[in-house]
Amino acid sequence: MDDLEEENKRMKAKTLRTYLARRILQYIFVVFLGLSLVFFIPRLLPQDPIRAIIGQFQQHGAGLDTKTVETMVVTFQELFGLSGSLVEQYLTFWRRILTLDFGPSFFQFPTPVSELLRRFLPWTLGLMLTSTVVAWLIGNIIGGIAGYFSRSRWARLMDVLATVVRPMPHYVFGLVLLILFAYLWKVFPLGGGASIGKPLSFNIVSLLDVLRHSFLPILTLVILNGAVWYHQMRLLVQNVKNEDFVQYAKMGGVRTWCLVSQYVIRNAMLPQVTGLALSIGQIYSAAIIVEIVFSYPGLGTLLFEAISRADYNLIMGIAAISILTVSTLVLIVDLLYPLLDPRIRYR
Amino acid sequence: MRKGVRLMLIVLVVGIVLCFSCLALAQPREETLIHDTVTGVVGTPDDFNTWAGWRWPDRGLHQYCLEPLWIAEPATGEILPLLARAWPPEYNEDFTKMTIYLREGIYWNDGIPFTADDVVFTIELHKRVPQLLMHGPMAEYVKEVRKIDDYTVEIALTKPNSRFHSYFLDRWGALRPMPKHVFEKVEDPITFKFNPPVGTGPYVLESYDPAGYWTTWKRREDWDRSATGQIYGEPKPKYITTRVFATEEAKILALLNGELDLAYLSVEGMRAAMRAPHVRTWRKEWPWACNIDPFVPGLVFNHMKEPYNLRDVRWALTLAINIEEFMTIAADLMAPVSPIHIPPVPAYKKAYFEPMYEWLVNFELDLGNGEKFKPFDPEVPFKLAALAKKKGYPVPEDPEAIKDIFGIGWWKYAPDVAEKLLTKHGFFKDEFGRWHLPDGSLWRIQLSGHPEPTTFHHRTMLAAADQWRKFGIGVETWTPVAFTTLNLLGEFDVNTTWAALEPWGAGVDLYRTLWPFHSSQVRPIGEYVAFDPGGSARWSDPRMDEIITKLEKVAIADEKATIELGLEALKLLVEEMPTIPVYGGIAFLGWSEMYWTNYPGAENLYPHPWHWWPNFKLTLPFLKPAKE
Amino acid sequence: MKIVQELFRDYRFTLGFIFLTALVALAFLSFLSPYDPVKWLQVPRDMPPSWPHILGTNSKGQDVFWEATFAIRNSLLIALIAASVSRIIAAVVGLIAGYKGGSVDQALMFLTDGILVLPLVMMLILVASIMKGQISLVGLGILLAFFGWPWDARTVRAQVLSLREQVFTQTAMLSGKGVLALVLGEYMPHISPLLLSTVLNNMTWSISSEITLAILGLSKLETPTLGTMLYWALRRQALLLGYWWWILTPVVLTLVLLVGLYFISVSLCEYLDPRTRAQRVTME
Repeated sequence: MDDLEEENKRMKAKTLRTYLARRILQYIFVVFLGLSLVFFIPRLLPQDPIRAIIGQFQQHGAGLDTKTVETMVVTFQELFGLSGSLVEQYLTFWRRILTLDFGPSFFQFPTPVSELLRRFLPWTLGLMLTSTVVAWLIGNIIGGIAGYFSRSRWARLMDVLATVVRPMPHYVFGLVLLILFAYLWKVFPLGGGASIGKPLSFNIVSLLDVLRHSFLPILTLVILNGAVWYHQMRLLVQNVKNEDFVQYAKMGGVRTWCLVSQYVIRNAMLPQVTGLALSIGQIYSAAIIVEIVFSYPGLGTLLFEAISRADYNLIMGIAAISILTVSTLVLIVDLLYPLLDPRIRYR
Repeated sequence: MRKGVRLMLIVLVVGIVLCFSCLALAQPREETLIHDTVTGVVGTPDDFNTWAGWRWPDRGLHQYCLEPLWIAEPATGEILPLLARAWPPEYNEDFTKMTIYLREGIYWNDGIPFTADDVVFTIELHKRVPQLLMHGPMAEYVKEVRKIDDYTVEIALTKPNSRFHSYFLDRWGALRPMPKHVFEKVEDPITFKFNPPVGTGPYVLESYDPAGYWTTWKRREDWDRSATGQIYGEPKPKYITTRVFATEEAKILALLNGELDLAYLSVEGMRAAMRAPHVRTWRKEWPWACNIDPFVPGLVFNHMKEPYNLRDVRWALTLAINIEEFMTIAADLMAPVSPIHIPPVPAYKKAYFEPMYEWLVNFELDLGNGEKFKPFDPEVPFKLAALAKKKGYPVPEDPEAIKDIFGIGWWKYAPDVAEKLLTKHGFFKDEFGRWHLPDGSLWRIQLSGHPEPTTFHHRTMLAAADQWRKFGIGVETWTPVAFTTLNLLGEFDVNTTWAALEPWGAGVDLYRTLWPFHSSQVRPIGEYVAFDPGGSARWSDPRMDEIITKLEKVAIADEKATIELGLEALKLLVEEMPTIPVYGGIAFLGWSEMYWTNYPGAENLYPHPWHWWPNFKLTLPFLKPAKE
Repeated sequence: MKIVQELFRDYRFTLGFIFLTALVALAFLSFLSPYDPVKWLQVPRDMPPSWPHILGTNSKGQDVFWEATFAIRNSLLIALIAASVSRIIAAVVGLIAGYKGGSVDQALMFLTDGILVLPLVMMLILVASIMKGQISLVGLGILLAFFGWPWDARTVRAQVLSLREQVFTQTAMLSGKGVLALVLGEYMPHISPLLLSTVLNNMTWSISSEITLAILGLSKLETPTLGTMLYWALRRQALLLGYWWWILTPVVLTLVLLVGLYFISVSLCEYLDPRTRAQRVTME
């Protein structure tokens, strides 16, 4: 008896190790694949970054003559270090990635891309993580309750609402919220990450200020993503509701609210954690669009700017950091999963 | 646990709602002027060293902090001396020596007086350090620069140059004097951040967003020791904040909410914003747009590609344009058309547009079979006015006002004449109405434009594509991200930038605009030209070279000779039509009168009105607070 | 026939069917359009809905109704191309992985899982911003297909795995049937309905992705699609200028289209496989 249990445990530990190894190997592969794509795709472009910078001066009307332009080209060529074969550049690219150095931004020259990423990534992460967690909780809880009482009138109303809201383009929905709550009813600011006129400091007023500025973008994300979780949870609960253990509990006189929260929702919640891992990429994309609507100082707004100015180094940098962020977050959720569900067998 | 989460949420929401009282702005709103940063999020928020590269000068740096020797003023067409004492500069007879007299009593904002030493230092440093932006011309032309006395600088040139002063003439950028006492202590003037910036302008840096979204400036206590203050008096706003919005929607809402005073908008954006009673535009009446911006949107032919090297083809394509439809798409009828390669701004109306009018009316095209055709249509402004009226815009009746708004005229819409010009060279139309090249293949034009759809380039492209398609040519629009690069390399058929390099917009000298057409600037396809507008056409003509050479020998002060040569060049450009000029530059401005009034609108044009131009410092002393 | 009857018993299916039929009819109307969708200034600009412009006109001088018929047609076309191409990839990868098993299976699933967690819209943006303005409808469809197959390849694989264990595979193999014949003859009938139901989800994803790209200004803006219609309405400030007919048309059409697809997909899933319905709808 004891031997068997011991054996079982060892097997478990072994599978856990294989699982972890496999999962981390996969993580490395994903990052490698994604970043390689990021390197090769922009190389197809005939853009000359140096001329792009100079073109930008000229577009704004600065009077540069031939001589000046020629000197500038020489200077910039040194700064960018655009030389060597494709293989050499690819190797350099990896060396740079490992040190998180993507070279200077073309448009925001000479600011290094990595500095821009450092400046804007925290905002995006904050926006995205908060809204993801809130949307996940609210969507699942309401969806769970609505799933259990699926025949009631308000549950049906919620269904209709979620169905209509869910396919809304993020940009349009955000813009409508902006007009409603920042212009018609001036409760929230029109955008930005914090009040202007003085730099941010670490105190409660600043924190509240940041929260106030983040409220509408978060609300947009929570409603639109929450609707998705709502739908999924509602269907899951409808299944769990009919399982034997719920029926027994019901017959055993467990109180309804306790039944809903402890038996039904809890059990249906677990598969939703996997769903969370798989949806992080999509939530990230949504956050990027919503940032633009609210002039939020995150990667999305930066990306929008980079696209319209054709700043390739910057687009590449944002793509790379997005791949790193998203795959790391997925990895974390995946690794946390076994802690949440003891029944999970790794395979 | 769920309860805890819910409680937390409630606390959060309540907390956020409670802190409504937090001001959105740290400075008192009534004393602050707020405008947008046209060039977007500042990528170098802590770096103000504008001599070493692009540092978002329009975040307030070149408007409020730095001052040039001279500045071009497109609103009045004059050139104004700021740190210099007079205009024009003094040259010796063979243009090998230039003397600058400086204004007295000007101090840097850290209390050190501004003198000839600063100017001498600036030029010498630029001559020495190759990475500085204006190193090229300083190294090429300056033999020696020396201080005569505290307020006089003499520059000896290596070779004759009658336009050497133009490097110091501010038209959205120039070599502005550096503070010697700051830069002489700096080891590397390239990586030096110049933070806080020390300028002679009337404002100092107050604070800025490390993410680059806003910058706030504060008026100097000793504003009267700046050139602006000395000449024009006290700038009225105590604080100025420049701010970035990611979308135009947000910008408009901010204008409506009173969170923004001045904004640069699109046509549609301006129309949306001006529905609020406190928002005004440059003109109070239709067409609202500010039409004195010195540039000419147009179509650029690649003269190294067939068939655009043929003058008749270029003229045929010009006559295939129905300017009424074109202007509707390109600018919603709000811009003045221009048949010549400079914009109808105040500086050029009297000097060039009026003298050329007769010539334009009588100008003839040879259709080949002995037929002649006068392509100029002076009725265009009135046709445009009628169209605008039909659209429901309140158009004035006065013919002079109409000409002011819509321009003096443009080229006739004459597809039949265009057809004759083309058949002359063997082009033909098939039974579907599609044009073929002389060799029998279908005529396809690859028309490239800027990828950003809000730009003038992009809208010109849409309009031209629409017109030429209707004429029967297969037009493919193309908006590559590498637009500028491809233009400079000559990899296009027809593109849409400015018809010629933007002129100064002040004074009468067209040297800057004509120079890119000099034969020495032409490069084969695949090699970079120096200038995108004008230069990318790769057109040259011995007659143009001659005019340019003559112009180089004319002193800037000799206006009569300058104008004569300018007219000659403009006529040549019309005859050859290397690029098609379409309309004079416009800007759509939204001005909120909630906190500030007396803006330099059309009815009250003192200096020029664009808040992203370095000239805006000259406007500030004339603003008035709305609530007194 | 019975199947159809049974499906229509679900109100969601009926509703979704009506929605989609209406939109497809609208798409076909585009062939009767009196206007060329690329040309500008064909009708008076900025007119509110009235006869004969039942949905008004936009600032480009186009009739919104007829523009919308083209938009629906092109969006459906992109979605169909993306869905069918990605279904083929999904089926091939899923079948090979499921049938071969072992290291082939592992390698393929490794790749699949890898693509699954990439931020796909980010990758689309990267590609589209390079091909900006030049990407054709078909090109966009294929581009979307390239990123849209992994999840369904997993589903197919799972199905094949379970089929492999069943008796008929053994029988077929023992009777000497070729691999191809086995796959096509025995597996495809089981996999096809599964693929069909994922088509709808994939179409939803493709349509949403197209809208995202268009809003960022990254698709061919002259070609009317739901995304580009929305793009022009937003960029020309239709909302703030009060041209509600211009912005509401693409928004409502998008909602009707996506809700229709969602309804049909949910009810189809439940019909096909009531037990796993929950898991399937978790993917959009």
